[in-house]
Amino acid sequence: MRKLEGKIAVITGGSSGIGLATAKRFVEEGAHVVITGRREQALAQAAAAIGENVTTVVGDVSRLDDLDRLYAIVKEKHGHLDILFANAGAGTVAPLETASEAHFDQTFGVNVKGLFFTVQKALPLFKNGGAIILTSSVSNIMGLPAFSAYAASKAAVRSFARAWTLELKDRKIRVNSMSPGPIDTPALATTTGLTPEQAEQAAAQFSSQIPMGRRGEPEEIAAAVLFLASDESSFITGVDLAVDGGMAQV
Amino acid sequence: MTRLNGKTAVITGGATGIGLAAAKRFIEEGAFVFIFGRRQDALDAAVAVLGSNARAVTGSVSDETDLDRLYAAVKAERGTLDIVFANAGVGSQLKLGEITAAHIDETFDVNVKGTIFTVQKALPLMPKGGSIILTGSSAGTTGAPAFTAYSASKAAVRNLARTWAEDLKGTGIRVNVLSPGAIATELATAALGKEGLKAYGAMTALQRMGDPTELGAAAAFLASSDSSFMTGSEVAVDGGLAQL
Repeated sequence: MRKLEGKIAVITGGSSGIGLATAKRFVEEGAHVVITGRREQALAQAAAAIGENVTTVVGDVSRLDDLDRLYAIVKEKHGHLDILFANAGAGTVAPLETASEAHFDQTFGVNVKGLFFTVQKALPLFKNGGAIILTSSVSNIMGLPAFSAYAASKAAVRSFARAWTLELKDRKIRVNSMSPGPIDTPALATTTGLTPEQAEQAAAQFSSQIPMGRRGEPEEIAAAVLFLASDESSFITGVDLAVDGGMAQV
Repeated sequence: MTRLNGKTAVITGGATGIGLAAAKRFIEEGAFVFIFGRRQDALDAAVAVLGSNARAVTGSVSDETDLDRLYAAVKAERGTLDIVFANAGVGSQLKLGEITAAHIDETFDVNVKGTIFTVQKALPLMPKGGSIILTGSSAGTTGAPAFTAYSASKAAVRNLARTWAEDLKGTGIRVNVLSPGAIATELATAALGKEGLKAYGAMTALQRMGDPTELGAAAAFLASSDSSFMTGSEVAVDGGLAQL
């Protein structure tokens, strides 16, 4: 039996990497997914790759109007929501000594404020029961030079899972965070501000720091998110599930 | 659901509770399971329920010759071993001030030393892609009155997975901890009574006791390739008890 038969899921940051792999897996397991992201073309390509049972909504999680529009579409199309994967995130290289205010605001605007309102605005669509999964990072407990704003924002995400578990307990909504280690996605090379050589070096260094000796694949994260989204994890709430090849565990 | 098709698993403490629930689930997912425990009658009853893809070996994880016998049986019938669920454990209460050396020895012999040798002796049979699951506890990260020895032993188990993630580098074998809390096993029901269970369950964020089948589902996740990028991790199945 498929694990998400008939479920409605929203995935932010759904056009590539972890979000896209998760959207594919959710659809394979019987869900209808609504994916959102900032880039229309990337979303269209993602929808084509997913193939069926997918709706795309262009938008930026740090803009509350965009979130309102996203959930208005979910409501109109499906009436309710069962699973929310708040996955959109931003992280750019910025050493402490030179990081700008704009860098800080952008990082926290997407990863903290954006995620906060992604969840708040979804709540009216949840029936009794449901699962919310927040993408944190191994950096929520690790020092990551030149990524301190990113790491701190991800620690905030882990904290949200704790408080929201309690706030939503009477509605039987489970809230968990999931902390990936370095994953082989386009983001490292395209969105962090690292040069191609730096990105390659970073990838090699990550692999040497990971007990499993390699970066993870988006599909491996998707399998863990599926576990947290489905009834397979029915007695799991408030946790931070590390899917990191052991990187932050040793 | 055939994520474990053709796999061979060993489950210590497999005759009742969490171990038995995991054995049922592993078999449903296609595995062949050896359960190991001290009580012959409980093992016989479990195998009667589990059917033809289950075998039972009697013994204690704190006795190395018993473990040797277990793995000899696995090797003889199956040749290799894919999944080890080191789940056998004991726990009883003694307040600080009343703790005896025998109490510490008994707890650590089973929960720590027993877990170490359960895993060490399994390794020669495990090929690449193997998964080791250790049963921790919410007590490993929280303070529970009078559970000095048990809680410390479970904190030790949590660390075993961290160290072994390093020791198993390059082998393709993963090791993770499954930490239950507030699970309505036969043992918990007998110890706490119906009212006690209700009160314990109310302490969780999900406001109920967990069912052993919910542990079985999490164990199957860790046993299968769905957790292929996880090692050294902990999965807490505790209704939020130790997470908030």
